[in-house]
Amino acid sequence: MGIMDYFKPVDTWPPDKVRQFLNEVSPQDYNLVDVRTPKEYEQGHLPGAQLIPVGELESRLKELDRTKPTITY
Amino acid sequence: MRSRAAAAVLSREGFKEAYSMEGGIRAWNGLRAAGPPEAGMAYFETAQKPEEMIALAWILEEGASKFYREMGKRQKGPDEAALFKELSEDEEKHKTSLFSIYQKRAGKGADSAFPRSLLSLESGVDYLEGGVLLNKALEWTQGQELRDILDFSVSLEANAIDLYIKMERKAEGGEAKEVFRALSNQERNHLKRLTAALQTLIS
Repeated sequence: MGIMDYFKPVDTWPPDKVRQFLNEVSPQDYNLVDVRTPKEYEQGHLPGAQLIPVGELESRLKELDRTKPTITY
Repeated sequence: MRSRAAAAVLSREGFKEAYSMEGGIRAWNGLRAAGPPEAGMAYFETAQKPEEMIALAWILEEGASKFYREMGKRQKGPDEAALFKELSEDEEKHKTSLFSIYQKRAGKGADSAFPRSLLSLESGVDYLEGGVLLNKALEWTQGQELRDILDFSVSLEANAIDLYIKMERKAEGGEAKEVFRALSNQERNHLKRLTAALQTLIS
């Protein structure tokens, strides 16, 4: 065993793929979550993103439909 | 980096498709992404032995403790220096809790294997969450803004919470469950303090 056996990469999408996805898919069919702080969100966010700071995510999972693709940034 | 930790939380909670956008908002805006090399791994939920997971958690607490201690020394602002110092001290306490749980499971004779032999790790190499080498992360922090360091620290804590939740779910004994629950709560408190510091910094 090496230490990397305990980890796996998180699935990531490059910004271009996210851009294309947001253009093609209806907003009802995905979750787009801004996990930064409220101030960062206020300074600018992706169109339609909902703010759930990472520290609140666990307690606010009900706000997200887990059957839909979910993009975080 | 926070978003990768967030995507890992969503996967753990049964979201079939959770993706983190590479490079975050900066990359979206065409800017260079920040982050130490290789950051962005989540725990693999497999049937590892509980002793191994305890050893892994201990190694990661030690890495985090050293990381925060170093960050504390570098901060010029007294509030930030105190925050990092306290986080480092807390992680040291977590090591003690983990070792005591390990001893109860494995018996005192097994101490010499803990933690590195259990994980086949060489001595003298420290790791952070996601298997990031402490040295690489410290190298990366050179020349980074406090904001990036806080962002990285938030992702460390979010991953630590993830690990302790998984360990709590797997633990058989009631006492071990309680210890892991207490640890994840303490890491949640760290995450709150770090995000508050980040929020203060952004204005």
